[in-house]
Amino acid sequence: MNKRHDPKALKASPAGTPTPLIDGPEKMTGQARYSADFYSPNTLTGVIYRSPYAHAEILELDVEKARALEGVVAIITGDDCAHTFGILPIARNEYPMARGRVRYFGEPVAAIVAIDEKTARKALALIEMTVKELPAYFTLKDAMAPDAVLIHDDKAGNIEREVHNEFGDVEDGFEQADLVREATFKCAEICQVHMEPHASLAEWDDERQHLTMKTCSQVPYYVHLMLAHTMEIERNQIRVIKPFVGGGFGTRTETLNFELIAGLLARAAKGKVALHLSREETFLTSRTRPYTEITMKIGMTRDGKLTAAQCHALQLGGAYAGYGIVTILYAGALLQGIYDLPAVKYDGIRVNANVPPSGAMRGHGTVDSRHAFECLLDEMAKELGLDPVEVRRRNLLEAPTETMSGIKIMSYGLDECIDKVEAASGWKEKAGKLAPGRGIGFACSQYISGAAKPVNWTGEPHAVVNLKLDFDGSITALTGAADIGQGSSTIVAQSVAEVCGLDINKIRVITNDSAITPKDNGSYSSRVTMMVGNATIDAASRLRDILVVAASEKLDASPQDIEIVNEMFRVSGGQDDGLPFQEVVEAALVDTGTITVKGTFTCPPEFQGGKHRGGAVGSTMGFSYSAQAVEVSVDPDTGQVTVHDVWVAHDCGFAINPLAVEGQIQGSVWMGMGQALSEETRYHKNGMPMFTNMLDYRVPSIVESPPIHTYIVESIDPNGPFGAKEAGECSLSSFIPAMVNAIQDATGLRYTELPVTPDRLVEAISKKQHRDKVAAARAAKEGATS
Amino acid sequence: MTELLPEFTLLQPTSIDEALAMHADVDGTREAVRYVAGGTDLLVNLRRGIGDPETLISLNGVADMTAITENDDGAITLGAGVTLAALIEHGTIAKRYPAVAHAAHEIAGPGHRESGTIGGNLCLDTRCVFYNQSLWWRQSNNYCLKYKGDICHVAPKGDFCHAAFSGDLAPVFLVLGAEIEIIGPGGTRREPLSALYTGDGLDHLTLKPGELLTAIHLPADPLPALYEKHRVRGAIDFPLAGIAVALTKNDGKVDTLRIAVTGTNTSPFMVEDLDGFAGSSLGDDAQIRLAEIVQKQVSPMKTTLVQPYGRRRIAGAMARRLAVRLLEAD
Repeated sequence: MNKRHDPKALKASPAGTPTPLIDGPEKMTGQARYSADFYSPNTLTGVIYRSPYAHAEILELDVEKARALEGVVAIITGDDCAHTFGILPIARNEYPMARGRVRYFGEPVAAIVAIDEKTARKALALIEMTVKELPAYFTLKDAMAPDAVLIHDDKAGNIEREVHNEFGDVEDGFEQADLVREATFKCAEICQVHMEPHASLAEWDDERQHLTMKTCSQVPYYVHLMLAHTMEIERNQIRVIKPFVGGGFGTRTETLNFELIAGLLARAAKGKVALHLSREETFLTSRTRPYTEITMKIGMTRDGKLTAAQCHALQLGGAYAGYGIVTILYAGALLQGIYDLPAVKYDGIRVNANVPPSGAMRGHGTVDSRHAFECLLDEMAKELGLDPVEVRRRNLLEAPTETMSGIKIMSYGLDECIDKVEAASGWKEKAGKLAPGRGIGFACSQYISGAAKPVNWTGEPHAVVNLKLDFDGSITALTGAADIGQGSSTIVAQSVAEVCGLDINKIRVITNDSAITPKDNGSYSSRVTMMVGNATIDAASRLRDILVVAASEKLDASPQDIEIVNEMFRVSGGQDDGLPFQEVVEAALVDTGTITVKGTFTCPPEFQGGKHRGGAVGSTMGFSYSAQAVEVSVDPDTGQVTVHDVWVAHDCGFAINPLAVEGQIQGSVWMGMGQALSEETRYHKNGMPMFTNMLDYRVPSIVESPPIHTYIVESIDPNGPFGAKEAGECSLSSFIPAMVNAIQDATGLRYTELPVTPDRLVEAISKKQHRDKVAAARAAKEGATS
Repeated sequence: MTELLPEFTLLQPTSIDEALAMHADVDGTREAVRYVAGGTDLLVNLRRGIGDPETLISLNGVADMTAITENDDGAITLGAGVTLAALIEHGTIAKRYPAVAHAAHEIAGPGHRESGTIGGNLCLDTRCVFYNQSLWWRQSNNYCLKYKGDICHVAPKGDFCHAAFSGDLAPVFLVLGAEIEIIGPGGTRREPLSALYTGDGLDHLTLKPGELLTAIHLPADPLPALYEKHRVRGAIDFPLAGIAVALTKNDGKVDTLRIAVTGTNTSPFMVEDLDGFAGSSLGDDAQIRLAEIVQKQVSPMKTTLVQPYGRRRIAGAMARRLAVRLLEAD
């Protein structure tokens, strides 16, 4: 049984205390080693030969001249791997290296391993590929045209997946409404741009037929499975290690082609191969948030009650399935669970196109739909003469409750988030009242705390954590949870320290070595704190029980009477100082020697989502909530939007590490700001990516970074570890509509495209000025005649 | 991984004469031997396979190019090798030529400004989204007119390279009437800055093989000037349009008005046809006319991912409001 703590009593304890990340010193001093940092004299260099066509049939691939070059150790092509890979067992349609056909510009076709990079690059230039070019499509319209060539023969109309569902009676809901409005929003494709470019180090032990891989993954377990699958070896022939990772944000939540290529190259070379991708290649292997067009329709009564919503989403999914169905399901699934919305209809279509496959970026699938909803809601509130904040307040849920789609909501702090942001931002004094060119906007969002049903369903617990306690009196926590910078290892250490009543320095966390640590599904869908946190509490409780029994025997007391205070085990209410931790450890070891315990966590079936098709997506143990206000000014001459202040409140259930929670909220806001202001991919008419560098793909700089005022709301979820829920994704979604709503407040302009770049905005402003002028002239004329 | 630099011989002269002698000794074409100062432009291009010089002559040790000298008559000589950071921090520049310091501060990021130089920014290679790409990318696109290819992907029907000049200092120097000093095998010449540029995006500098831009001369009595740079981000980005305006007043009305532009054309240039503003108090109509004149003379092309329409409009608007600010200044 998990020990449930009173969080108010935790404030002075490890859980709830702002704690610098336990792997911080290595990162700050440059000691941390990432996948590209493991050098040894015998390391060979891998490079990838990539398609210079967006869509083509491969007629001939001649690698012999390259193979003959001195210093080239091995070359592999699509012929060397006949297995497709992919995160979803039902949608694996991508080869590590193209076979027969290339479907996007930059798709891997072959790979070379050579004694050094110079030789490898020379060999690249010797590869010759003859193709028959095929029509290629880079937009929804072109890909969906009736006469378009199929990118995958089994996907008619170039539609990868469609989703249609309806909960409640939408038609009836719109009938009940006093105002029904519909609008279309176009959101550019964006990339994660994690700081660390992709890199893998693969070592093939030919004697033992064994592969060791170090790679920059969020999901080393899935990499392990895919390596076994594509290399046709047993899982026990593989060891996957995740060293320090410089961010992921969703790019690395599935096995990526370069990881499989590295494994195949190492085996072909019978040695150790470093495969380091450039920033350009990393962009091409980004698994983006896809270009999305959302048509949202909302019904509202004249006093601001929502009656129904209908959402139609088109996603330009890219050349392969990837997370495919999951992304398009998410775009509809999280329309529920935030407001009291009696009827929801969703139609989503993921379209294939000749651009790199999209995937799971922070806020997976939900961000653009939430943007459309919050913008339209704002517009309708203003049209009805209502305060947009008040409208949201009139549609709140009350926990515990359950969505129409069957997701249980056990905690709900959105009301408190709204109150905090409204007060802190000075909303009432500012909304609609700021000087021309300055405005304030508001929006809300929610996100899941871990997908309650993993994509690769095995029936195993959702998370397992092992603890080892030995003669030295330190506890080693073993976990497969991938810390990619978000601070999950620190959560594990805090949780053990909290339950066992110890200082956090006594806890060592070892992560992500398949030879040592228990399997974990990985860092995605904000699952780690919820699932690994609960498994850690389970393991720590078992360890605590063992220690308490040992202490009680020494103190000649009943275990129920033992309490741990300042690392001393003592009889509750007694006069005695009790036993120090080290003595208790020694007593506990007497009979058994080294102590190992295991903790697990499984999401109960009733939390694994509704019974409808696709019901697993969006299912979760708990929703986090966010409310956000953004104040901007708009320069009408240059179209430059300046974000002056951001107020954001996030209901994370309970902040186990408030320092990390605050950092995650700020990071979310900042990443949302990139999507809102400046980030977008672009493709040339032949499908060449035009953006694959950090000058043309404009991640905001520190100059754009506004003051971000964060407010942590703790609704204490009964399922969460110490009450905790998600903290790292939700507040991205609320930034974007809040900013666009602020632009509306500043300029009167409702902008429906992302990003809101200066050139676009200046064009829209000049058109609006023209429209206003014409309207004024007409009004004057009518006034004169009447 | 970061692309490898090609192999080259690095020469490190300590004086201008030695640099010129080394250049002459190498006896190569301009392609085979290049001068390099901060390297923030050249080395990035070399890594991308743009250029393959056998020899690089580093100017970092050339002491006679790194000074900022105040002459007896009050004029200032800037060594071409002065770093942008040193230029920004120089007290006299900040005080007497604030637009120069401001423009320098707008360049790239702090790290670039520590090594990038004045001469480098004036000689900055022209830029285009079809040119500033990796070797693989350009190869796959059959290169472009500017380097190794036959067509300009920006305007495929023409035979002109539209790569845009994107240095931030040039327009300010132009409106201030700065002159440059060039030393080469044929001796020394001093010319207006505008003489440095050919107007062709492909080969944008008038420097002949071996010639070196060594210094910039600023006049003793600079016109009051301002610089504004339009870009998406407040740091790092090259100008999508950069406008420098110099304006003197007479009785509250415009006396002299000069406007120079960067980022929109193949060269930085002075806007023409501004004589009519002498005596103007820049009322609404004059402001509109001024913006239109600038809009008409800039010719942004699709050399960046930002559409030309906005850049053109914004260039005009910036010129208008800088002129008004100067007129209204005390």
